[in-house]
Order: sequence, then structure tokens, then C-alpha cells
Amino acid sequence: MHRTLLKSLTLGLMAAAAPLSAAQAAVTVLGWPGGPEETALRAVADIYNAQDGLAEEDRVEVLFFARDGFWDKLQADLAAGTQAFDLNLIATYSIGRYAPFMEPVTLSDEAESVYGESVLSTMQFEGQQYGVPTDLSLHFMYFREDLIEALLADADAAAVYGDISEEYLGERLEPKAPDEWTWDDYAATALYFTQAVNPDSPTRYGTVLQMQNLLFNMMVWQSTARSYGGNWMDDEGNITVDSDAYRRGLELYKMLYDAGATPADSTSYEFPEANAAFVSGQVATMLQWNGAAGELTNPETAPAVADTVGIVAPPAGDEGRFTHIHGLGFGLNQNAPNKEGALAFLQWLSTEEAALAYAANSGAPALTPEVVAAIADERPDLVQLGEFASQYGYVMNGATGANALSVYELQAQHFTGYWTGQETLDEALAAVASGMEDMLAE
Amino acid sequence: MDTRRHLEWGVLSAPMVIFLLLFLGFPALVNIVYSLSSVSFQTLRSPELSGFSNYVTVLTDGNFWRAIWFSLRFGTITALAECLIGFVLAIFLAPLFEKRSWLLAIIMLPLMVAPALVGLMYRLVLHEFVGPVPHYLWAWFGSAPAFLNATNAFWTLVVVETLQWTPFAFLLFYMAYRAIPFDVREAAQMDGSSAWDMLWRIEIPLMAPTIAIALFIRFIDGFRVFDNVYVLTGSGPGGSTRSLSIYVYEAFFRQGEIGPAVAASVLLFIASFAVLFAINQGLARRAR
Repeated sequence: MHRTLLKSLTLGLMAAAAPLSAAQAAVTVLGWPGGPEETALRAVADIYNAQDGLAEEDRVEVLFFARDGFWDKLQADLAAGTQAFDLNLIATYSIGRYAPFMEPVTLSDEAESVYGESVLSTMQFEGQQYGVPTDLSLHFMYFREDLIEALLADADAAAVYGDISEEYLGERLEPKAPDEWTWDDYAATALYFTQAVNPDSPTRYGTVLQMQNLLFNMMVWQSTARSYGGNWMDDEGNITVDSDAYRRGLELYKMLYDAGATPADSTSYEFPEANAAFVSGQVATMLQWNGAAGELTNPETAPAVADTVGIVAPPAGDEGRFTHIHGLGFGLNQNAPNKEGALAFLQWLSTEEAALAYAANSGAPALTPEVVAAIADERPDLVQLGEFASQYGYVMNGATGANALSVYELQAQHFTGYWTGQETLDEALAAVASGMEDMLAE
Repeated sequence: MDTRRHLEWGVLSAPMVIFLLLFLGFPALVNIVYSLSSVSFQTLRSPELSGFSNYVTVLTDGNFWRAIWFSLRFGTITALAECLIGFVLAIFLAPLFEKRSWLLAIIMLPLMVAPALVGLMYRLVLHEFVGPVPHYLWAWFGSAPAFLNATNAFWTLVVVETLQWTPFAFLLFYMAYRAIPFDVREAAQMDGSSAWDMLWRIEIPLMAPTIAIALFIRFIDGFRVFDNVYVLTGSGPGGSTRSLSIYVYEAFFRQGEIGPAVAASVLLFIASFAVLFAINQGLARRAR
């Protein structure tokens, strides 16, 4: 009786342990949840797992937790030496923070011809490759083609436009096509399409700005400063944010906010709120992440505007056109329980086959022209993505360091404080410059 | 007999003491060490003692004092509003609830929702282009206030918090109101007390301990608010809606300032302990 019971218990324990050990042996990938990145990762994982001869312990399992606080949770997990995943998401702006808990990797021989050197560099820290750059993020200027065409075709409207630009910008401007916009042209257009400024405007607001005290909103905004020649640091490592370029960029946003060209609640807006405003049909222009293109041009998710959305690169400043870029990708956890299997998956993920599969399933990899040609009909936006990244992409000096996220946080606090009138421009810039001295000196 | 009783007390209280030592004592000790150390995520297991520098950093940080001010203001105003509304509802709706007690379940519904979800819900409800509140305000009045801009965010958060937690205060007051013995009221009526006298001289004094406890609990909850504020406005433009809990969270995770973040939480702990100790002493004195 006892022996039977013991045997039953042992078998029961073995049965219970079997799926656990299989799960531990598989390669677990922690991905970015709830968006096209998740769809793409799931798809390539299925393709990888369907390969003939793939060992059971090298099969890939995907793991997701909520977007809110993702990077904070990841940091806590990595610092605690987690073995819950082998590969984890990394981003250009956070590599420096996570590098101490990760291991450099070697990618496939095809990687350079698939992604190009500059895109691979978005996953590098201190000269070493930490991951495969699966998604590139940059900014598009979205606009309503129907409204802009009407403005360009109407002489009376152009006169009103001139009056408004003279009043608010101190210079009489004429309407231009969005691909020729400077930041002043963008501002004049935004003001023209604002009912608080121009009661005849067909839209309530001319633009929608993302002004929540949030680090990602600084990435959206900072291309204005960069296009006027601004940067975090000069080549000698001196902090240079207290500059005319930063002042002009910050003043531009404040002027638009104070004039009512963006919703008054914009100070609580980030990606989804701004998209919701734009798809309502009550907003004429929006500087937004490329990741919004799918939603904004899909008649099912944006029935009021999908057919009339135009996309160009961000406007130009004195120094030209610029767009912030950063990559999302996957790197190796230092405490990965299955490093061999994880490295094998990373090697495969950096091949042309995997990159095209990732792109075909909603991902946004920045591929070289030769590779992207294979999928250009299916994903024309990826052609634009590659073009904009190579022509206008930039990373601020110091923006891949260990404290880059903290710098963005600091800027978000003080710049939003300035936009909402809680700090003067001088106070905000001085506080940011002083904080950055400490953060970037470490 | 005394020895045996002490032994029994010791044995019976041991699980609680062990629980407190493990789950409160150990983290508290680690927190104190970290608050006196130079520590980062890379050196969590090998912090270097650095004296009281983290405390100096926190106490000289303007953001810390702004967060304290926000939390104090938020905790006080929401506690007063919730208790006032809860009290009025409990007194005036008591006859209705006695006849239709199922209505209590409806009043309690907001308590069933997680605060973070409440924040998320109001983020949608108050959004100018998808939210019903701004939609109807635009439709009826041609404009709508910016509920979450720097000027209005604080009061919007107060209203959201009050709407969610007033039922809690109401429940306490309703139970206390019902617990007043019928013969006390009857005696007062026979003595010719008016409804106002009954409320002012009989019911409120008898409910006073409950009122004090409700105010205290709601103040503590409001003071340490995190979830719904963080989801709705983050720390707000310029840090205008940064509560003390958000300050600690951001310092720890966002800025990687582990030492100062923990020092701030230790200061908060000391302040809370002092307040609780004073209240306890006051209650004990009153009981004597």
C-alpha cells in the first residue's frame, strides 16, 4: 500500500515537473507587449520553432508583461539576477543602463548587409553589440492632405494665413507644401487651423502636441531644438542645452500651447491621446512616432481621416531636417539559463529571412535598400522609414549613456514646467543643464 | 500562574512576531542600511556606507518638499470631502437603506475597482475627443474645461479620489449610525429634542470615534496616493501632481537614485510612526 502510494506520488511529481523543466529548457524571450512588436515577435518565433531539426530545448517561447513601467520592472528583474527570460528587449536609450546585466553578442554574417552599420549601432554600447535591432522608431509629420490642399489653392485663405503668421510669428508667411515646411511654417499652419485663432478653421485645433511630463515626449519634441543646431553636449563633453536652439524649440511649443493650437489637456497627452485627437478629424497636423502610421491610415481605426493622411519628415530648422531615432531590439540576459539556445535564436533573428518575416508581420525594422525592396509593395512605409532614418536620423550626444533615461526625465519635468507656466525658460534650462552636468559626468 | 500565562502569550503571539520580523522588520532594516549607503542597481548586494548624505540630499531637494505639500493637501482635502459627503449620505439616506438594503451594493461599487483602473477609466472619460464628459460639455456649452491641465489637474484628482472612496466613509458612518441604540433616540424624543438637536447633541457625539477613525484612514490613504494619480497625470507638468509615493518611485526607478529614494521612504516612515504614536497616546489617555 505504502509502496503504491510512494510510486504514485513520485510519478505525480515527475509529471508535474516535466512541463516545468521543458519550459526552463526553452529559450524565453521577453518582448514589448501590446503592439505591432508583439505581433511580429510571435510570428517570427513561430517560424523559428517550425524549422526542421530544431532541438526541443532551443524552441522559443515569448513572454510579455504590461507596458506601464516596463523598463522599471526590467531593471529590477535584471538587477535581481532573474532567470525568468534568456533574451530581453532593449532600446537605444537604455542600453547603457542595462549593459551591466547583459552580455555582448555576435550576430550572423548577414546582419550588416540586412540592417546596415548605422542601424546596428543603435544596439551598441561602448563599441560592443548588445542586440539585434528589430524595430526602428522615428518621427513622421502627419497632416491632413485635404485641408492643406484647400489652403494652398485658396488665395483668400493664404491672406488670412499671412495675417496670422505675422501676428504670432512676427513674419508674413505664405502657405507651403508640408515637405517644404520649416518649424515656422508648421506653426503658422497649426495656428491657421485653430478655431481659437481662426474662427473659420475647419478643425478645432491645428496640431496636437504631446506635453505630458514623460520622457518619450522629450524625444518627440527635441527634433525642433536639434534642427536649430541644439545638442545635449558638445564634442568636449560640455552640456549645451542652455542655448538659442533649445530656447527656440521650447518657445515654439509654448507659443502653440498658449495660443490654443493644441488641446488644453495636451499636458496630459502622450502617444494614444494624441492619436485619438488626430483620428477625431478635429486636428490638422501632428508630429508623431512612425508606429502610429498603421492606425492613422487604416479606415477601420481612423475612419474620419485615414484616406487623407499625408506623411513627411519633420520640418526644418536653420540646420536642416532632423528626426530622433532609436531602436528596439533583443539582447542576452547575463543570467540566461539557456545562453546557447538564446544566441542561436539571435543569430537567426539577424538574418535576412528573419528580418523580412518580422517586417511582413507588422514589425518595423530599418532595412537596407537592397533588402527592403523585397517587401516594398507590402510595406511601403518601411521604405520611408529607411529613407528618413538615413537622411535625417540623429542621436543626441550622450543619449545612449547609463543615465540617458534620467536626463530625459529631468528634461520632461522642467520643460513641461515651462510650457505650463510653472517655471521661466531661464529657470527650466538652468535646472536641466545643472542636472545633466551631474548625470552625464557620472 | 503568571509564568504560565506569559508562556501562553509568548506562544500565541510568536507567529505574529515572526511574521512581522520577516516581512516588516527585515525590509525595514535593509531600507535603513540603503538609506545610509551609496548604492545603485549594480551594487544592490554590496552597498557602501555613506553616512547621512542621502538624507541631506532629500531634505534639500525642492521636489521632495513639493511632493510633501501635494500629499498633505491631497490627503487632507480628500479625507474631509469623503467624510463629509459620506456622513451626509449615511444620515439622510439611512431610512431608504433600511427599507432597500440592496441599494448598499450599488453604493459600494466604486470600491470594487482597482485605483489604477479608475485612473485609466477617467483618462478616457475626460479625454476631449473620446470622453463623454467633454463631449457633452462641448455639445451643450461650446467648450469644455481642460480637466487635466496644470491648473485643474489637482482638483480633478481630488474629485476622482473622492468619488471612489466616499462609499468607504459612508459605510463606516452608516454602520455607526445604525448602531446607536433605539432607546437613546426614543428618550431624546420624549424629552422634546428637535431633529437638529438629536443630530448635534446625540448622534454626532456617539459617532465621533467612527468619524475620527474614518478621517484618519482616509487621510492616510490620500497621503500615500499613487495608482490613480500616476495613471491619470503621471507626476504632472513640472511635477505639479507628484505625490510623495510618486517621488519615491521616480527617484528609485526612473533616476536610479536608490539611496535618496529609500531615505525619503524612511523619513516618511518616521513621520508616520510619530503621528500614530501620538494618536495612540492620546486615545490611551482619553480611555483612562
